[in-house]
Amino acid sequence: MTQAFLSIRKLRKAFGAFTAVHDVTLDIPKGEFLTFLGPSGSGKSTTLYAIAGFQDPTSGDVLLQGKSLLSIPSHKRNIGMVFQRYTLFPHLSVAENVAFPLRVRRRPDGEVKRKVADMLALVRLENFAERLPAALSGGQQQRVALARALAYDPPILLMDEPLSALDKKLREEIQAEIRRIHRETGVTILYVTHDQEEALHLSDRIALFRSGRIAQIGTGEDLYLRPANEFVAGFIGNSNFLAVEHLETENGAAVVRLADGSIVKGVKAADKLDRGQKARLMVRPEAFHLTGVPGTASLAVEIVDAAFFGDRRRVVARTASGDEIDVRPTSDAADPDGADAGSSRQIFFDPAAAFLFPA
Amino acid sequence: MLLDYDRLGWLKVALLGFTALVAAFLLLPVVFIVLLSFGSSRWLAFPPPGWTLKWYQELFADPSWIEAALTSARIATMTAILAVAIALLASFALVRGQFRGREILRGLLLTPMVLPVVVFAIAIYAFFLQLGLGGTTIGFVIAHTVLALPFAIIPIATALEGFDKSIEDAAIVCGASPLQAKLRITLPSIRIGIFSAAIFSFLASWDEVVVAIFMASPTLQTLPVKIWSSLRSDLTPVIAAASSLLVALTLGLMIVTALLRRKLQT
Repeated sequence: MTQAFLSIRKLRKAFGAFTAVHDVTLDIPKGEFLTFLGPSGSGKSTTLYAIAGFQDPTSGDVLLQGKSLLSIPSHKRNIGMVFQRYTLFPHLSVAENVAFPLRVRRRPDGEVKRKVADMLALVRLENFAERLPAALSGGQQQRVALARALAYDPPILLMDEPLSALDKKLREEIQAEIRRIHRETGVTILYVTHDQEEALHLSDRIALFRSGRIAQIGTGEDLYLRPANEFVAGFIGNSNFLAVEHLETENGAAVVRLADGSIVKGVKAADKLDRGQKARLMVRPEAFHLTGVPGTASLAVEIVDAAFFGDRRRVVARTASGDEIDVRPTSDAADPDGADAGSSRQIFFDPAAAFLFPA
Repeated sequence: MLLDYDRLGWLKVALLGFTALVAAFLLLPVVFIVLLSFGSSRWLAFPPPGWTLKWYQELFADPSWIEAALTSARIATMTAILAVAIALLASFALVRGQFRGREILRGLLLTPMVLPVVVFAIAIYAFFLQLGLGGTTIGFVIAHTVLALPFAIIPIATALEGFDKSIEDAAIVCGASPLQAKLRITLPSIRIGIFSAAIFSFLASWDEVVVAIFMASPTLQTLPVKIWSSLRSDLTPVIAAASSLLVALTLGLMIVTALLRRKLQT
């Protein structure tokens, strides 16, 4: 195995009695776009700040190409960073903002000029070079901040929720820009966000944080289709959790009994479970169907509300145990029974698309 | 709004009248002084029997008046520089520092503004007498700096509070040392506050008379002290001319401040 480009080793950060980051260990290969995703207070920003040097970890290490960064002060780490808030220098023009990191490095004027022009072209703001930051929109300011952070060719770029102050449409536009810039520059990016769509859209891999630990790290597909635990299953995408009883394990798959008494075979389980143990079965809303085919499991429900959304139907159903579940079957399949509010019927799901977690 | 100006009706007239009265009460003495300085009567008769620039000529011909004005300007300039330098350091501690007694320190630094000046003047007079600083330029500057400090700290601390520290952090990540980041990014960003602090502390020293009376020696007099002592010996329109110049300079500085603030803010 090749040596990791950036390596986080058992990083721990405690604020008094509160531990914000618990022994996080992580390897990031060169050129990867890795996102730290998680609810606020999960330790994702603290980890990023430890890499930037704004917070000294309590223990652990951060290695860049095998060399520890911790003894190097922030300004000598040569790391690029884009912040959550607008951090352009208000008294300097766009061009001088981008030139600033090169000026403090005492690069010759010609090189500074060339590099600033390249960077402004990269973020497509060539015509804004002489403007002051106050004359730019929020999205433009963050693009200049990105150009400034990349001007000195840093080996890693840290981004701390850079789009959270922007509206949805602008956010999507700049996400596309960030993807393109990652592709064109090949820079290694560590990106922090609490927005799962943003994480899924941008990242090669996602590290999902929970209470200072990494709940799961993997591609978006890994997290969505193969969640390691109930937290991941609940955080990424929409999920329904059905109360079930675990009966036995058969050929590496679990057999469970639903609340309505029906038996479901061939369910994937994240952990080993005991016979008779109470468990929760996760089924994605789009894994439900209104018509059954051989091999699918069925569930007796009462329809609470149903609506047609073109490509999908959105149905709210109540199970025998009284839980409301979110059902989004594709709408093209023939629907013999109808799904009118108030009616009782069977809905179906593929056991292979369900996951079993301990209760 | 209950007290919306547009809905006051006839009260609007009353309010305007009252405001004009207050403004007149505050400004009339100044207007009188300026008028008298151009009046030809040696006894400050009003209305002036005629108009003249004689008193201004006399003022500029007298080296002791010029000397006093230059002394005032010198002391006020040094006070402004010293007060701004101290206020800058103090503001970083007061705004960014997290230490016990920070609020007490803030209160302490602002006391000269609320303490009766004469109390402070007597205390510092007695203290400087022992140190041998009475009647010296250094003594003047130190005493005036203490008085000017609140007027320097308030605008600088306010500007620093409004400055997002993330911007300084961004400069540091970009490769600037913490000191470089402060000098090249933070200070230029709060320059309106620094500029206001310089003007206010200059003025605090420029028209200060109570401490100056205690500090002054026969060879070292500021303009306000010279006006005050001349007033006691003989009442001449030259005093009105000197006072008018004092007012003009103060007014000029305030106008420059207002214009610069407007320019820097856009």
